[in-house]
Amino acid sequence: MSLVSALNLGSSALAAQQAAIQVTGNNIANASNPDFTRQTAQFSASPDHQIGPGLFVGTGVTLDGVTRQIDEALSARLRSSHSDAAAASTNADWLSRVETTFNALSGQDLGSQLNSFFNDWSTLANNPQDEGQRQVVLQDGQSLANQFNHVSTQLGQLLTDGNSQLQSLVQNADSLSTDIARLNVQIAASSTSSGSNNGLADQRDADLKQLSQLINIQTIPQENGTVNVYAGSDPLILAGQSQGLTTKQLTINNQLVTSVVLKSDGGTIPVTSGRIGALINVQGQIQDTGKKLDTLAGGFIFELNKVHSGGQGIKGYQNLTATNAVSDPTLALNDLNTGLKASATNGSFVVHVTSSVTGLSNSTLVPVNLSGQGTQTSLNSLVASLNGVGGISASIVGGKLQLKTTNNLQTVSFSQDSSGVLASLGLNTFFTGSTAADIGINQQLVGQPALLAASANGDAGDNTTAKAIAALQKNAVPSLGGVSVTDHYQSIITGIASATASAKTNATATQSVTDTLESQKQALSGVSIEEETVHLLQQQHAFQAAAKLVSTVNDLLNKLMNIL
Amino acid sequence: MAILPVPLARVSTLLQGSVATSAIARVQEQLLQTENQISTGKRVNTPSDDPGASSVILQLNQTLSARQAFATNLQAANSQLSETDSALSGVSDALLQAQNLASANVSSTVNPDQRAAAADQVKTLENQLLSLGNTSINGFYIFGGSRSTTPPFVSSSAGIQFVGASNILTNTVDENSSLPLTVNGDQVFGATSARVTGTVNLNPVLTATTRLSDLGGFANDGVHVGSIVVSNNGTSAVIDLQHADAVGDVISAINSAGVPGVTANITGSGIAINGSGGNLQIGEAGGGSAAADLGILGTSVGGSVGGANVHARVTPFTTLASLRGGLGIDPAGLQITNGLQSATITVGPGSTVEDLLNAINGSKTGVLARINASGTGIDIVNPTQGTDLTIAENGGTTAADLGVRSFHPASALADLNNGNGVHTVAGGDFTVTRKDGSVFTVSLAAANTVQDVINSINAADGGAGVTASFATTGNGIVLTDGTGGGGTLSVSAINASTAAADLGLNTVAVGNTLTGRDANPVAANSIFSHLQQLEKALRTSDPNGITSAAGGLQDDYKRVTAIRGQAGAQIKEISGRQSSMLDENVATQSLLSQLQDTDLTSAISQFQQLQTALQASLATASKVLHLSLLDFLN
Repeated sequence: MSLVSALNLGSSALAAQQAAIQVTGNNIANASNPDFTRQTAQFSASPDHQIGPGLFVGTGVTLDGVTRQIDEALSARLRSSHSDAAAASTNADWLSRVETTFNALSGQDLGSQLNSFFNDWSTLANNPQDEGQRQVVLQDGQSLANQFNHVSTQLGQLLTDGNSQLQSLVQNADSLSTDIARLNVQIAASSTSSGSNNGLADQRDADLKQLSQLINIQTIPQENGTVNVYAGSDPLILAGQSQGLTTKQLTINNQLVTSVVLKSDGGTIPVTSGRIGALINVQGQIQDTGKKLDTLAGGFIFELNKVHSGGQGIKGYQNLTATNAVSDPTLALNDLNTGLKASATNGSFVVHVTSSVTGLSNSTLVPVNLSGQGTQTSLNSLVASLNGVGGISASIVGGKLQLKTTNNLQTVSFSQDSSGVLASLGLNTFFTGSTAADIGINQQLVGQPALLAASANGDAGDNTTAKAIAALQKNAVPSLGGVSVTDHYQSIITGIASATASAKTNATATQSVTDTLESQKQALSGVSIEEETVHLLQQQHAFQAAAKLVSTVNDLLNKLMNIL
Repeated sequence: MAILPVPLARVSTLLQGSVATSAIARVQEQLLQTENQISTGKRVNTPSDDPGASSVILQLNQTLSARQAFATNLQAANSQLSETDSALSGVSDALLQAQNLASANVSSTVNPDQRAAAADQVKTLENQLLSLGNTSINGFYIFGGSRSTTPPFVSSSAGIQFVGASNILTNTVDENSSLPLTVNGDQVFGATSARVTGTVNLNPVLTATTRLSDLGGFANDGVHVGSIVVSNNGTSAVIDLQHADAVGDVISAINSAGVPGVTANITGSGIAINGSGGNLQIGEAGGGSAAADLGILGTSVGGSVGGANVHARVTPFTTLASLRGGLGIDPAGLQITNGLQSATITVGPGSTVEDLLNAINGSKTGVLARINASGTGIDIVNPTQGTDLTIAENGGTTAADLGVRSFHPASALADLNNGNGVHTVAGGDFTVTRKDGSVFTVSLAAANTVQDVINSINAADGGAGVTASFATTGNGIVLTDGTGGGGTLSVSAINASTAAADLGLNTVAVGNTLTGRDANPVAANSIFSHLQQLEKALRTSDPNGITSAAGGLQDDYKRVTAIRGQAGAQIKEISGRQSSMLDENVATQSLLSQLQDTDLTSAISQFQQLQTALQASLATASKVLHLSLLDFLN
């Protein structure tokens, strides 16, 4: 053992403490970086030197490595919890928007407008010839139709917004996958058996966290420091290769279904969580809600039209055109290929041709045979029967039935329609359309409130039809599953409300799990400034002591040199 | 709130910060929610705030909204009935005045001039009542029934005619109940005659297009469509008649059901099913009553089932040929005379009931023909005030076929002359002088009907040349003289009997024939006709007429008072409902408030707690984050 070797020992100590100070400094510098993992420097004593038989002395210290303080299993759990939390909060967020679209409990929502529309009919029954109240019924009918349109448009807009967000999130996930694959390559190139590039590993962890917030992933670390990422059972990233992500949209049962597919082979990957998974789920829910709304509108329109078309106004029509076209006038009227949304059943209706001079009517019973036996009634045969009624002429214009009285002094009206064919074709109806998107007021009534049907016996002052329409509010509607219009609306609202409430609760719960896991991770991997300060003091003192050692050995060497 | 692992080995600086910020954020969020609840006053602002409560809230809101409509309807009924009440009170007053005028002018001390002046007053009262009858509020004629858009009483050359509807408008005032908005104007004024009610059940035969809804059914309580089971020789089929609309649908459904040997067809007034000699069974399926209602329930071995009358109702589209079990109606036509107006109604072959009704209603005779409420016949009533209506044959049997002849051989003598009857005396009522100068006496003491009178005359004549019969054209007893004498056929009352005049035989013969009048004309027993009668009696200074008119007005007064009582009771019921609805609304509102509104006491105390919590969080965070080892070095 020589003094020179002691000098070497001192220099190794100085170098080691310098490195340790740098690690501590780096920790302190990243104290507020949430993606940073605390690093520690690992030292070991250098191999001893034999200075005599059985006599060994130490030769100083060696820096073995700088390691990240991380629990990989905890990180994996945290990633899956990030997926769930992101999914839950996205769900809650979007469902709240769907709920807001309906604006229930506000007093200006669809339900309130339905109520006031039915109330208007009940009020009209008090004085059926009141032009003012007829105008009110028409206006409230129009604003109800507008409200249906509005909610339908809003839901469509939500769907479009959700879809474009979904596209951009998938692009985002795709570029994150590319990044992770690139980092995998860099990490594999820079790492050795003794250590790896901690900064790159932190970057990759941050990317993985972001990716897990978008889709549910599993990570499998490899020997060479790379991480393989699986989405479901499909590999998304294998070492330096990302399969790439994109979307595919299909329409199944009139419903737009978006799926996430691999760019490489087009295989669909099961996305059940993360923001993307939540958005796919929300897309389904928005479309379901839209469908329920359309069912409500369709049932409401048809039931109301059925009653209205069998009623009479203060005056009859001199000409009227059906609002719904039939694609092929030779088809039976209950054939789905006619393009009629609501289909008629076997029955009959009565056509009245009334003279405005004498006030006398001629009534004709028009049978509608849709019983499945004998010749079925088609639009053509209906036109033929109507042409057999004295005083009116029927024709088909653009697939729509058109009726005219042959004499200016006569008007035509209808009653006792047991077949629903008038409502189905759109003759003497109140509403047009068949969904929430296309519901509107029959334009023939606009500006002619006298045509509004409140009567059932032809007397201008009769209120039977008005009362029957008011009673529809509480009547069970077969096409709405046997519940009333109001109850169906309430079930839509309650359905969304429960979904939203449970999504909100779920969002809080999953966030709480994530917070807990995050705090566990922080407990291990987070930087504590106090701790680092203590480390710094230790390292400072060790450095000072090592420097003292060098200076002491130097003094000793000088003394020896002075002897010469 | 994140659950921190208990043995937390280290606390990193970032964790300290994030725990502090998340605690503050959480308290702030709760504060915002509480603040929102306090400022809006509502605990549930969107349905997801409390899905359970909001479902009830929606229901309650709907109930309240429906009650709002009911309240509007009650208010409308109240104002309409109050208006009706005051109009009825006006009618009562006018009737009392008319009665007073009658009793003041009936005495023999009143001279014709005074009576003429009273007649002018009666005329004024008549106009006053006409305008009361046409009372309207906001264009709604309260006595017009469902024809409330136009005045129910119109004055024309034919007289005052009631053109309103004889029904009552009702509206919904509660979930399941309706109240009338009007009274029956027809009934108030007695505006239409009670006759002529068709005396014949017109019993139309079935056709393939006869709607099931137009059938009375086997038991005459409607046809309730459902499923039936048809079986023949052990092969059976369930036939769903749910969508059957007409008789033809039922027939074709049974014929195409695929049960061997079974054929269904219409037999007059019923449906019969033949089993081609097999063991035929027809039953109900699914607990309905379709087979029984259609009259085809039963079994038969070797024969057929059904054919019972299913009581098809008379509808506007029923053809005249199908009436009377297929016998049809004689096409000769009707003669209608109402006051000064008369018309001959004929309808062509192939006509429907509606064609007939339109021909009568459009004849400008001021009569109203309609199908009766039970759908079994035709009624022709006289809605013109103070005119006499007769409906007679036009040389055939049309009126008899329809059962609407106002005077016919079967008419009871007691009903003639508006119920005044025929007054006979003992010992002979009138003599008939033949053209050859011979005379015979007729006694009607034993006669009950017009036919009895005809028989009595023929018996009294004893085959000596005069034949009594009932007119085949027009209405009346006809005496035909076959003696060929040069004199004049005539009828003269004896023993101060009024029977000849009561029977309408006080007319002058033309040639060999003496045609009597219609002794049973139809008139509305109305306020207006009584007033017209009174006015006429006053102008002609006829004390008997005044007394008779006063009697009619007395009845009118009683009837109006009774109806006014009903209207009053209805108004009272409306007020009762209005006040109970207010109570119900208060109860519903308070329930709604419990569900939806913020409990301010607890919300404000919660707000204060949260404020304290926020202060504590902030203080803790500032202390903890402020602490640093670096402060203690050097």
